[in-house]
Amino acid sequence: MKMAAGRKKRPQASLEEEYASLLREYAAGGGEATLGRAYELGRRAIAERKSLLDLASIHHGALRALAQDTNNGKGREDVLRASADFLAECMSPYEMAQRGFQDAVRALRQLNETLEQEIKRIAYAVHDEAGQLLVAVHLALADMARELPKPQQEQLGRIKGLLNEVEKHLRRYSHELRPTILDDLGWIPAIRFLAEGISKRANLPIHIQARISGRLPGPAETALYRIVQESLNNAVKHAKARNIWIRAWRENQVLHCSIRDDGEGFDTHRAQGTPGRKGLGLIAMQERVSAIGGTLRIQSGPGQGTEISLRLPLETEHVNSCRAR
Amino acid sequence: MAINSDQDIVLARQKGRAMAAELGFLSGDATLIATAISELARNIVTYAGKGHITLKGIQNSSHVGILVVASDHGPGIPDIPQALRDGFSTSGSLGLGLPGVRRLMDEFEITSQPSRGTTVAVKKWKQ
Repeated sequence: MKMAAGRKKRPQASLEEEYASLLREYAAGGGEATLGRAYELGRRAIAERKSLLDLASIHHGALRALAQDTNNGKGREDVLRASADFLAECMSPYEMAQRGFQDAVRALRQLNETLEQEIKRIAYAVHDEAGQLLVAVHLALADMARELPKPQQEQLGRIKGLLNEVEKHLRRYSHELRPTILDDLGWIPAIRFLAEGISKRANLPIHIQARISGRLPGPAETALYRIVQESLNNAVKHAKARNIWIRAWRENQVLHCSIRDDGEGFDTHRAQGTPGRKGLGLIAMQERVSAIGGTLRIQSGPGQGTEISLRLPLETEHVNSCRAR
Repeated sequence: MAINSDQDIVLARQKGRAMAAELGFLSGDATLIATAISELARNIVTYAGKGHITLKGIQNSSHVGILVVASDHGPGIPDIPQALRDGFSTSGSLGLGLPGVRRLMDEFEITSQPSRGTTVAVKKWKQ
């Protein structure tokens, strides 16, 4: 009964206060009942969006206050042991959540791969299958044209012109979805092709300096291509850049790639901390890089342009693990 | 043991932790077992009002382990796959509740019948 009354009062107390008072209670011999509440407190901390580091600092503060009140050596020893049990109990819900996130990341990676396969399939259908159909239409029109009087032939000529436009658009969409060069020649030629198109359309110079030869495993090449693609799109659409520089080089066993622009830049902390669209794009990029064992650094600031730097260790072991994925 | 109140949950946790220690589980694993018991007992109290939890030491050819069975005669779970999916609405975070219990333990079995009740049996083996 006493306990139920205590619980009703508690939600008003701040997390810090409740932590300190429960820890004190446990150190004084509170037993399993207090541990059970420590567990509920951990759950509450998650619901209040406290990070694990917040919890560590709350724990540290509570422990320090408790240790100050405990003067003799034996008592301190007990407090230390009790506080370790207590902290473990509080962190237990975080362990559960962490395992959940691990599963979610695995699912996300799988989804990325599935998406890439789908894109490949659509790009192929648009390019090859639709292309072949168009050729057949052209042939049929040519047959028909021979038997038609002059005015209708001219009309047919205009239709042919339109069909050619359709074909050109389809080819461009297909290559932008997934350039065949990426599979045939590798990520650097694919990036050159992509940059050329963007440069023309957005009317801004993209300077490429790539001193790299040889191919990487398929998943790594795709990830690199997608990251450069996303960076270029961001630079053009959001940053209003006037120049873009792409550099790729290899140093010892590490591949480096940097995409820099002289656009507006942004506050990186705010963008990555907020769950808006912009933040999501950056998080997705990070995730793509870590899926192939690399790291990504984003440097930017209002008025300072943006640089995305990618680092990918190329150990034989890594190359194998990439292939296995 | 019967689960009707917060005190019963405490008792179940205590017995689970003691049994885990007796079976030789490390204290970290004992904490996870107590956590699973908390989540299962919490579900009983929240959805069925009352129920039972039984604990048992078990053994297969190579390992010893602990079996926790939580059962109730509550309303049951109409859609089990949905109950095992991570959601933010009920628990406030991804990974808590039943999906969390499943990840903490090595084996997980659930049976439920609408208006008949729910039984969840989980096992954890000592590494």
